[in-house]
Formats: sequence, C-alpha cells, structure tokens
Amino acid sequence: MLSLSHISLTIGEHRILSDVSCSVDKGEIVGLIGPNGSGKTTLFNVISGFLAPTHGTVHLRGLDITCSSSSRRAQMGIGRVFQNFGIFREMTLEENVLVALEALPKADRTQRGNLRKIAGETLEMVGLQSHAKQKAGSLSGGQMRLLEIARTLMSGKEVFLLDEPTAGVSPKLTQQVADLILQLKKQGKTILVVEHDLPFISHVCDRVIVMDVGRVALTGKPDEVKKSKELRELYFGADPTT
Amino acid sequence: MNFFLHIIVMIATTVPNVLGFNLLFGRGKIFHFGPLGVSIVAAYGIFLVTIATDSFTLGIAAGLLVVSLASAFFAWLSLRLDADGFGVMSIAVHLGLLAVVLNWSSLTRGALGIPRIPRFVFLDSTLDFALFSTVVAAVWSYILWKIDKGPFGRKLIALSEHEWHAKSLGIDRPQVHLIAFLLAGIGALLSNVLYPQYLYLLHPSDYGFPGFVFFVTVVVAGGPGSVRGCLLSLILLSFLREGLRFIPMAPDILGPLRLILFGLILYIAVYCRRDLLFPKQRTV
Ligand SMILES: Nc1ncnc2c1ncn2[C@@H]1O[C@H](COP(=O)(O)OP(=O)(O)O)[C@@H](O)[C@H]1O
Ligand SMILES: [Mg+2]
Repeated sequence: MLSLSHISLTIGEHRILSDVSCSVDKGEIVGLIGPNGSGKTTLFNVISGFLAPTHGTVHLRGLDITCSSSSRRAQMGIGRVFQNFGIFREMTLEENVLVALEALPKADRTQRGNLRKIAGETLEMVGLQSHAKQKAGSLSGGQMRLLEIARTLMSGKEVFLLDEPTAGVSPKLTQQVADLILQLKKQGKTILVVEHDLPFISHVCDRVIVMDVGRVALTGKPDEVKKSKELRELYFGADPTT
Repeated sequence: MNFFLHIIVMIATTVPNVLGFNLLFGRGKIFHFGPLGVSIVAAYGIFLVTIATDSFTLGIAAGLLVVSLASAFFAWLSLRLDADGFGVMSIAVHLGLLAVVLNWSSLTRGALGIPRIPRFVFLDSTLDFALFSTVVAAVWSYILWKIDKGPFGRKLIALSEHEWHAKSLGIDRPQVHLIAFLLAGIGALLSNVLYPQYLYLLHPSDYGFPGFVFFVTVVVAGGPGSVRGCLLSLILLSFLREGLRFIPMAPDILGPLRLILFGLILYIAVYCRRDLLFPKQRTV
C-alpha cells in the first residue's frame, strides 16, 4: 500500500533520516516507536509531502508520489493526525469536519450527498454533537484528538498517519482512541501510528518498527520487539544486569 | 440631499474593492498591502482603452484582462514568498505601479490625471449614479457574503490558521489563493469602472498610500473577515471622512489632519482587534 525506499533527509548540516526503507500492507497497523528526536515525525512529514527527501522515493499503491504536493497526497487518500492537534481553533466543531469533507475530490463529495449530515454523524460518533456550534479552541486536548481522528476517519482516507494519538489523553479517552483505530482496521484501512505507550502498541499493532537516530533499528511483531534487548537499551538506557 | 447622494456614491463605489481586500487580508490573513496597485491597473486599463476606442465594452474587457493578470501575479507572489516578505513586496509593487502612471506622461498625463472620463449613457444624474452603484455594491456584497460563509471561506480560514493542517486535508493552497486574488481583482474592477466616471476624472492621487490606510482601517475596525462588519465600518468611516470637509480649515492642513485621524483610528482598531488579526496559538 505504502512503501518507502532508501529515504534520506538532510537539513543544513543535520542528517535527520538516513536510508529508511519500509512498507506497510493494506489493512495492516504498524507501530512506529523510538526515542524523542529519532525522526518519527519527520518521516511522517516526508510521507505527507511537507518535506522533500534528499534521496529515496515514496510509493502509494505502486504510484511514485515523491514529487506530489501535500494536498494532492491527501486527495489520493493519505490522512494525518498531527502531534500538536490539526484542529482549527477559530472554527466551530461542525465547520472543522465540514472543511475536511469539502476538501475531498469532487467525485467523492457528490457521491456522499449531504456533507452537513455526515459532519453531524461524525460528531455523534465521538459524543461531541452537543458542542457542534462551539469553537474548537475551547475543547480539551483529548476531545480535540477524538475530533481529529473521527474527522480523518469519516473523510474516507485509505492510509492513516497518526502521530502520538494518545499523548495527553486521559485513560478513558485512550481506550476510545484504541477502539477507533481497531474500527479502522476492520474497514481494511492502513495505519501507521507513532506511540510511546507500549501496552497500547501491543494492543492495536500487527507489527512494530523501531527508529533510532534517523534509522530503522529494528522491526518485528510487538511481542518480539518488546522482549528485545535493543529496545530496552533505546528506551531505558543500557541495562547493567545483562 | 446632495451631500447624502455624494456619500452614498462614495460608499457604494468603494464596497466591491474593500470587500475583496477584506476577503484576502481579513479572512485569509494574507498580508496583501497592494490592493490599490490592482486598482491602478484596473482604472487605467479600463479608461485608457475606453477613451482610445470609444467603447466601454472594449475598455471593460481590457480591464478584466489586465486585472486578471495583475491578480494572478500577486497570487503567485503570495505563494512564493513567506507572509512578511509578501507584505513588503506588495507595497513595492503598488509603489512601482504608482510610479509608472505618474511618470509615463505621454500615456497617462502623469500627476494631472485623465480628465473627461466618459459615463455610461444611463447615468445622467447623481441620483442615477447613487442608485446604480448601490445595486452593484449590494449584489457584490451578497455574492461575497455567500462565498465567505461557504466552503471557500472555510478553506481560507483553514489555510490562514495552519497551512500544514489545511494541506493535509487536501486543501489546494495555490488554487485557493488564485481564486481569492481573482475575486478581489473583480471587486477592484467594479469599483474602478464606477468611481472615475462619477468624478469625470481619473486621478492618481486617489490611488496612493492614504487610500490604502483607509482600506486597512475599514477592515480592521469592522472585524477582520466579517462582510457585515466591514460594510458597517465603511459606512461610518466614510461619513467621518467626508464630513471632515465641512470643517472650515485650509485644505493643506485638513489633508494631513485627516491622515493623522485615520492613523489614530487604525491604531486603536488594531490594538483592540489584535487577537483576531494575529491569533495566538493556545499552547496548552
Ligand atoms: N525542519 C527541521 N530543521 C532542522 N531540524 C529538524 C527539522 N525538523 C526536525 N528536525 C530535527 O530532526 C530530529 C527528529 O525530529 P522528529 O522527527 O520531530 O523526532 P520524533 O518525532 O521522533 O520525536 C530532531 O533532532 C529535530 O531537531
Ligand atoms: Mg514526534
């Protein structure tokens, strides 16, 4: 579905990504983990077209999209949930969903009919319908997160890039976020999720990619990766007992 | 009575232009400081061709062509440069265009302006003019109000609030900017096909920096982005501006005084509306 080959990125003197290759199959949920500053968000920026890689290519459904604009990629089906909330605070909740639906390719929009109704259903799905006419800036972090995921979900994207979807979210809402992700999986969507919460990762992911200083350090099933020595060292520092 | 009709004409002929500027600067937060540059292009384009060919149709067609080109050029600049860079560049383009019309005397008669501007045949009296320009202003206001409340307005807000977030939804920034600048350009065309007709004169001093300060004041005081607020503040500020003429004072004192007064109003308006103009991101 989505494949990256030999992606490198240098900004100024700074080498941020070096030779990252990986691919995600349709319907797969892949966790992307690694210490802060290891390049996870940067990799998402390369996939969604905000940063052009110095070397390497990005393919979506076999098409080379390395040179496509970010809005073009979104229209081709890549949805993104931002680490710092991709919500428009000056707009109402309803408008926040509407603006996403209205940005879909024309054929999609006409096929869906009444967008305002879909926006209402989206808010209902995450229990925010009573706030529909309220400015989104007044929501809590967790609510913004739910709204953002629900919006991306309802806009019918095929590939989802979720950047720390549970950061700053209460345990109850974290459960709700996990449910939304599993619901997406049932619909056969492809998901790449950055997350620090390891139990969350083993709960939802089929496979895990561990990144360290801009490289892929390790990849495997969640349980194997969790047991591996490298991961312990990356996250908790070298273990003196081994 | 005559004073009222005069003010109505002044307001109505400014409405399309100011609403276009409001769409770009108020709604889109695009730091476009050269709206009067586009107006210069519109006015001289229309009337030079109209006078040369003796045909309003050809004049307006030519105006539409040059305004589209100028708007597309500004849109391109706004995409190429970052926000501040575009702000400075748009001032430069405006001043450059002003310098051209002031100095290309063989074509534009320079600072003297172009006299004997023809009028549409059906616009005999000031009353006719007031009625016609009010209808134009009302129709254009309604169209822009609809656009502002619709999908296009939301796309503009989204881009103004966070470019990456908007793009990641599939919003095409170049397309949105081009359409917004073209809409503003059509507004400039409508205003400038009417205003010089009213005076029978096309004068470059109407397209200088004081005119731009007036535009900014109207948009900021009206509540950036709001079509209704913008219309209201245009009406109030126009009454203020034209009313000052009745103060018995020498013109060479009144002119600068007026500029100072509007500068002061702008200062207060920006201070009161700074959160709307430069929204702060909530960090927690
Ligand atoms: N635009 C940029 N210019 C310079 N350095 C950057 C830029 N974006 C990210 N970086 C650097 O790249 C590294 C990886 O950042 P990031 O991808 O945000 O890490 P992560 O999401 O894994 O915590 C960091 O050291 C960061 O400082
Ligand atoms: Mg990150």
